[in-house]
Amino acid sequence: MAVVALCLALGPALLSGADLGLLRVLIGSLLLLFGLEWLRKGVLRMAGRRRRSSAFEEYAEEREELASGAPSDWAARLVAFKGVFLEGLEVGLIVLALGGTPGRLAPALAGTAVALLLVVGIGLLLHAPLRRLPETQLKLGVGVALTSFGTFFSAEGLGVRWPFGDAALLYLAAGFAAVAWLATRRLRLAAPVPAG
Amino acid sequence: MRALLGSLRSLLFGETWSLPLGVAGALCAALLLRSALPQGLWGHAGGFLIAALVAAALTLSLRLGR
Repeated sequence: MAVVALCLALGPALLSGADLGLLRVLIGSLLLLFGLEWLRKGVLRMAGRRRRSSAFEEYAEEREELASGAPSDWAARLVAFKGVFLEGLEVGLIVLALGGTPGRLAPALAGTAVALLLVVGIGLLLHAPLRRLPETQLKLGVGVALTSFGTFFSAEGLGVRWPFGDAALLYLAAGFAAVAWLATRRLRLAAPVPAG
Repeated sequence: MRALLGSLRSLLFGETWSLPLGVAGALCAALLLRSALPQGLWGHAGGFLIAALVAAALTLSLRLGR
């Protein structure tokens, strides 16, 4: 609700009145902050420097804690709000940046609606097998995607013309995935995880 | 209060200082390069320079670990 309210309140003003270049740099910077954080955590998890991610385990732990009647914790509530808010904000920022060009807002919104329906549908149909997917790798992939979008928009805002246009997102993603793989490998070699 | 401030900092900047500083540094360096390089060269190569700066910010953050 907070994300929708924020996008509805600021979106039209940003799209109509703001300098598009500046808007793209701002949105790109935020996406870079979010994406690089995901990427850093993903690399640390893959290298064994951090516990592997499991949203289901976190959910079970949180539920157990609530059932035990633990006192209310505003910091925990804020952290939970932050998690959901940031996920939604990332989507909102991408849609705003894509829809910033005249004539592209409607396709961007239509794409978002289709993606929302797909995500809800896939979640409903496949929630059990989805739990078995390698979550750490999925989150690393999200980090790669957000970092690629952030780099793409920041550079466009600074007047760069990407070779092959929007397809640049693909080679940027490949490049950042390679950087993440190399960083994981370096960290593993620096401190190998004991066997067994 | 301390926990609340910590949560707010984490909300804006994540778990580390090195990443937000790295992103800021990368964008400042990109601005400097844009003004230093010929416009045509920046238009074609600027994106790759920014991507390299972003990758350097990630590598540095992993190396510093905070």
